[in-house]
Amino acid sequence: MRNVLNRMTVLLSGLTLAGTVQSADLTVYTYDSFISEWGPGPQLEKAFEQHCQCDIEFIGVEDGVSILNRLRIEGERTKADVILGIDDALMEETRATGLITEHQQDLSPLKAELNWQDPQFVPVDYGYFAFIYDSRKISQPVTSLKALVESDARVLYQDPRTSTPGQGLMMWMKAVYGEQSSQGWQQLAGHTVTVTKGWWEAYSMFLKGSADYVLSYTTSPAYHQLNEQTSHYKAAPFSEGHIAQVELAAVTRTSQNPVLARRFVSFLTSDEAQRIIPVTNWMLPVRDNVELPPAFDQLMQPTRIGFSASEMADQRKGWLREWRNAAAL
Amino acid sequence: MILSRLKHHSDTVAGLTSLAAMVLISVAAFYGLIGFSGQGADWQLLSDNYYQSILLFSIKQAALSMLLALLLAWPVARALYYGRLPFQHSFLSLCILCFVMPTLVLITGLVALLGRDGLLTPLLGESWNLYGLNGILIAHIYLNLPFAVRVLLQALHNIPDLSWKLAVQLKFSPWQRLRLIELPALRGAFLQLSGFIFVLCFNSFAVVLALGGGPRATTLEVAIYQALKYDFNIPEALTLAWSQLLIAGALFLLIARAGRSNWLAVDTLSHQFTPQPGLFSQWGHRAVYLLSWLGMLLPMLALIPGLYQSDLSRFSLSALVQPTLTSLVLALVSASTAITLAWLMLIPIRQARLQQHNRRAMVLEWLSTHSLVAPAMVISVGLYILLLPHFDLDHHGIWLVLLLNCALVVPYAVQQLRPRLLQYDAQYQHLSQNLKLSRRQRWWVEWPFIKPTFISTFALILLLALGDVAIISIFGSDDWTTLPLLIYSYAGSYRIAEASLASLLLLLICALIVWAFERARHHA
Repeated sequence: MRNVLNRMTVLLSGLTLAGTVQSADLTVYTYDSFISEWGPGPQLEKAFEQHCQCDIEFIGVEDGVSILNRLRIEGERTKADVILGIDDALMEETRATGLITEHQQDLSPLKAELNWQDPQFVPVDYGYFAFIYDSRKISQPVTSLKALVESDARVLYQDPRTSTPGQGLMMWMKAVYGEQSSQGWQQLAGHTVTVTKGWWEAYSMFLKGSADYVLSYTTSPAYHQLNEQTSHYKAAPFSEGHIAQVELAAVTRTSQNPVLARRFVSFLTSDEAQRIIPVTNWMLPVRDNVELPPAFDQLMQPTRIGFSASEMADQRKGWLREWRNAAAL
Repeated sequence: MILSRLKHHSDTVAGLTSLAAMVLISVAAFYGLIGFSGQGADWQLLSDNYYQSILLFSIKQAALSMLLALLLAWPVARALYYGRLPFQHSFLSLCILCFVMPTLVLITGLVALLGRDGLLTPLLGESWNLYGLNGILIAHIYLNLPFAVRVLLQALHNIPDLSWKLAVQLKFSPWQRLRLIELPALRGAFLQLSGFIFVLCFNSFAVVLALGGGPRATTLEVAIYQALKYDFNIPEALTLAWSQLLIAGALFLLIARAGRSNWLAVDTLSHQFTPQPGLFSQWGHRAVYLLSWLGMLLPMLALIPGLYQSDLSRFSLSALVQPTLTSLVLALVSASTAITLAWLMLIPIRQARLQQHNRRAMVLEWLSTHSLVAPAMVISVGLYILLLPHFDLDHHGIWLVLLLNCALVVPYAVQQLRPRLLQYDAQYQHLSQNLKLSRRQRWWVEWPFIKPTFISTFALILLLALGDVAIISIFGSDDWTTLPLLIYSYAGSYRIAEASLASLLLLLICALIVWAFERARHHA
């Protein structure tokens, strides 16, 4: 028995040691789908490492919120030089950790539509939330959020406590319904199939025919066109306007290698990286005139509505409470 | 004499140290959370509608799961007891497999069977929805009913032959037999089972997260996860955690007072004297037996069609090798450590029982099994917060997973070993003391008595450790992946065929372990 135990210990330590790597020149915290086999991570890593002759390591956590939570826990001791994938709705909370330094980037190549001036966070991609439907089944889609809420269409959306699209819908309801959003949620709950933990659970259920509308992004149709050559999945334009999500990168104050960190952030907004990100992360590029497949030209151009990052930071707790009370009872 | 006292003493110290270590893990976790936020629990939450509704839902689903599992398990246990049915041993092994079935595998199977496009869904009508209370109850019953069957059957087997002979002489009607012989024999088992199943379902996480379907069906454990996720609302998580600990812990203490049964051990399957049921009830027993086989096997078989749903030709089996090995090694190490700790922790408990210090024994017993009622989410996140700034968890997180897995299966090991060890003490302790047996000699007497229980206990916790994913999904990294984590990531990106294949493999490994250990136990 002891012999077996010994062998197991050796095997186990072998396993852990095999996973140990030399500390990289640059450590980037991001969400794990960003660095999956199909995500932008591997291509970006390759492209940047050719420029810098350095070694970068991506550490993937579950999602954008987990990046922030991890920074909060680690504090000054964080290993991250760059964080990548926090969205604008979480920007103020991230800034409040005091761990972010100035990016010192030239923001002028960014799209005017973004109207971006923040000295600490740089946009790397963005997208608009939208409800996706199957045009083979629905010929007359709803044209506003109010119409969707008042309809009896089967709807799938994500939990605002665990996913960013869910947070987006929360802002959307608040922007459209204001004080009456509680009633809106209750009405929506009457024809909601289920509220899922994350985006994939909802979207894949929708693809299997479980619902009429699913909360996703205006860019989702481009994914189906490019990967499956199908064009029947469409985003429904809503007359009230759409909520945007801007994904951000930032340099940490504690970075041992701030020069390289800033170079990486600058690379992320370069034309080269911006050509990779939209077709792997399925979001829009933050620069004008990026060469992209034609499917991206056919996407709708929504009007942007919503709240500022600081309003979101102040209101989130109260809005979450309102949602869960309205949707649970 | 002095030397033996000293040895005796060192055993106690080792036991108390293990106990302290287990308690320390939980205390450190709570300390991690409280210390980090600098705040205690947020008691205002108690008056929040939402809090009250999830508390009620947690209790409601746990009570319903428990009631349904017990009500359905009872006829199955009776069928097994009276029925003289074929393949009873296999059936009882299958029961173990169901109880330890990795929740992910079960969920994949249930969705394939009863989900939106499930194999049986067309039979269930338009309004059927697996997500919500339906799914939670089905999964909980599936996990706990087979376990209840084993315990109830054991209790029925404990009815002395004499009772039945008397019943025949006194010409008891079936109803009188049920009321005067069966029910009194089952009362203790029912009481214990109801508490145990209630606690397991009350603390349920993975099942509720996957099948709950949003804020209408949330348990406290899931709510803790949600509070920590977006809000990073530690005070709220603490309120939820204390509520859970208080309710489940109090209940567990009540069961501990209510006495104990022999848990999963089926000592005697040899048929003693049992009354012959009438022809009508014989057919009833057969029908119940057949239905239980079907019910237990269907979710497993439902995994198979998934294999053909999409193209597996691109998939290479070698992707499964490393995760399988990691899982096995992790489970073996966790289970070995856990059973050693359990054995040590039972030493002071046995001494307290021998010396009639029942109150002390009860406190020690509660402490040794407390991680069964403590919120696993708080334990894992609390330790994560405490350790992250000091350790490289990205590369060495596997040690933390090992520690947590071990902490979570220790209570099962204690629960399983305790009755047998106490039975040993009651029967042989005085004798071995009077004979002034040496430590080694005592061991030779004790081991054959304990061995079968020891083997089945080890198998049980090995299987539980093998299937656990709740913790790993927080700490998993790209450097090492376990089989459950792999299934989780396949299912998360809806690669159903791969998820089904990995699930079947995990199930097969579990089945092999059950088979091997049941064999070893019967030959022991």
